[in-house]
Amino acid sequence: MRKTSRLGSEARLGWGLVAPALGVIALIAIFPLGWTFWESLHLHELRMPWLGKPFVGLANYVEIARDPRFWAALGHTAFFTVVSISLELLLGLFLALAMNRVFRGRGFVRAAVLVPWAIPTVVAALLWRFIFESQGGILNALLVDVGILNQPMVWFIEASTAWVPVILADVWKTTPFVALLLLAGLQNIDLSLYEAAAVDGANAWWQLRHITLPLLKPAILVTLIFRTLDGFRVFDLIYVLTGGGPGTSTEPVALYTFNALLQNLRFGYGSALSVVIFAITFGLALFYVKGLGVRLGEDET
Amino acid sequence: MRRGPRFVLSAVLLAACARSPSKHETVLTFSGSALGAEGTLVAKQLKRFMQLNPGIRVELQRTPDDASQRHQLYVQWLNARVGNPSILQLDVVWTPEFAAAGWVLPLDRYGPAKSEFFAATITANTWAGKLYALPWFADVGLLYRRTDLVPREPRTLEELVSEAQSAMSRRAGPRYGIVSQGARYEGLITGFVEYLGAFGGRIIDDRGEVVVNRPEAVRALEFMRDELYRWRVAPLDVLTWHEEEARFAFQNGNAAFMRNWPYPVAAMSDTAQSKVAGKFAVSPMPASGTAPAGHSTATLGGAQLAINAYTEFPEAAYRLIAYLTAPEQMLERARAVGQYPTRLALYGDGLLSGAIGIPPENARRAIESATPRPVTPIYTELSEILQIELHRALVRQAEPREALDAAAAKINALIERTGMRKLMAGTSKA
Repeated sequence: MRKTSRLGSEARLGWGLVAPALGVIALIAIFPLGWTFWESLHLHELRMPWLGKPFVGLANYVEIARDPRFWAALGHTAFFTVVSISLELLLGLFLALAMNRVFRGRGFVRAAVLVPWAIPTVVAALLWRFIFESQGGILNALLVDVGILNQPMVWFIEASTAWVPVILADVWKTTPFVALLLLAGLQNIDLSLYEAAAVDGANAWWQLRHITLPLLKPAILVTLIFRTLDGFRVFDLIYVLTGGGPGTSTEPVALYTFNALLQNLRFGYGSALSVVIFAITFGLALFYVKGLGVRLGEDET
Repeated sequence: MRRGPRFVLSAVLLAACARSPSKHETVLTFSGSALGAEGTLVAKQLKRFMQLNPGIRVELQRTPDDASQRHQLYVQWLNARVGNPSILQLDVVWTPEFAAAGWVLPLDRYGPAKSEFFAATITANTWAGKLYALPWFADVGLLYRRTDLVPREPRTLEELVSEAQSAMSRRAGPRYGIVSQGARYEGLITGFVEYLGAFGGRIIDDRGEVVVNRPEAVRALEFMRDELYRWRVAPLDVLTWHEEEARFAFQNGNAAFMRNWPYPVAAMSDTAQSKVAGKFAVSPMPASGTAPAGHSTATLGGAQLAINAYTEFPEAAYRLIAYLTAPEQMLERARAVGQYPTRLALYGDGLLSGAIGIPPENARRAIESATPRPVTPIYTELSEILQIELHRALVRQAEPREALDAAAAKINALIERTGMRKLMAGTSKA
């Protein structure tokens, strides 16, 4: 009896102590989300007050389901996410393995590698836009000088070539971040495992496959979760580089939502799009955590 | 650092004082830019207005120069029924939207002298039979040509193409024939409207029917595409260009023709930065020689002044609008910042000579052939649909016919969704 009541009072105290934090979370996370969902059930066009603001149930969601531009945008987002993350993981792993070795100036290299990550995305996107510009762009000048191209190429008017700067810019910018996350994982691996393997005559490739990668799995999964969610919300990079064009060939869902919500001021439909993006990213996070067993917050290995 | 809090406090108090005028005073707020020559001019004219009207005080409320940012702010304020700024500075394509929303007041009861303004500038500001804004200055699409390469103004679009070709094929001729704005944004529509008119097509006809996929319109879009791929007089680069890229190309002597607004005239006439100073002339875009219904068309742009429907002082607001759009102020504006007056009479009697960098006669001809973009409250979304479909056709993702059919279907769906038909039927009865 005494024990439980003491526990009860401790629990009360505990709740009391976290109450402000919970209140803040409710205010800045749950309330806006709830509000957005409520908006999404209405027809609400800010620039057409004559339509009023009638409750329309799930009509906005039905419109999304029937909207080819939304499905195309979802496809572009998935394409961008898968391609850029695959490249980033591969290059990032390579970089992390290199940086994990003991060599002179390692600290300097680790810091230097972070420079692209430190540059604001919009600035980086503008840089890449200049590089790929058809007139006076560095890349075109280079390719023409070397003789690969006869004349400057207009990268942004074909879907296939417009993706090149987008993906390159993302890989350039985010690989350092991926490398750093993986490096942290690498440093958690007990070196004696490698020594033992070497004594048993295992070569470097075997060590990579049977020691490094399995023990790096948690770090890889954490990286994946971060990058997938980032990839699905990609906005600024594409907004600056291609504006979603040519036509709408590189338009991601976040840009489409921005357009509906802030350009066309369709609050109902735009809110519904926001809720859909939220549901997708939330579902992905859930899949990673539950399905692949990513552990966030608690230490492992 | 230590002065911080006191400074903030006094700033707040000052702001509070500034924002609480005495009850009987009439205070107007004017939305506009406070930057550069434009800012100086507006400040000067507002001050003069206050001297002439001692009972009225006018404050300048700074709003962003970027049109879409200003639009977004206005819409948010007006949804919240804010009465400031009492005078709204509207882009030419916003008036019907603001009128249909009830955010700006009709001006007819003040008896504005409509006939003194260019007809197109009045049409653009009329919704459901009422005038909602007065045109302050006009912007108009112009065809620039290099007079050293093309001495004579092309009379048809076909001549324009052949002149461009022959200029390019000269020894040391320019790299490009025609440069323009072809990126996927509003600029693409302004160019399309000119080709559309040249072939006798329209986007929406007088009865409100969507006609943008009629044969004339398809031919206009085919012509634009052929300039890029068949005759190769326009570089593919223009599909990513806005106004400035086109200006750079023309100003550096790399193009025989350019489609642009009047603003580059000043910079291009400056020998310090321009290779074409004294070597260019402007005219309206010509009509096609093969389309009987085609006519020379220039897209209309520019700024309008309207009364915020939530202002306390509509009469005073109209007085200020009338003052700013009066001949003297318009002339002063043309001389100070080179913007074109919207009053027909100001183009005669040498009033404008030397003020706008080109012969006033040429500017007048362009404004007389000016066509507003579709005058409809749903213009912004209509334009977005067209931007995408036109761009798809011009980058060859779709055939012109296919793209325009898609655009027409989407615009019709937009009209349905927004209840435009009902709204138009309702207003025309009223």
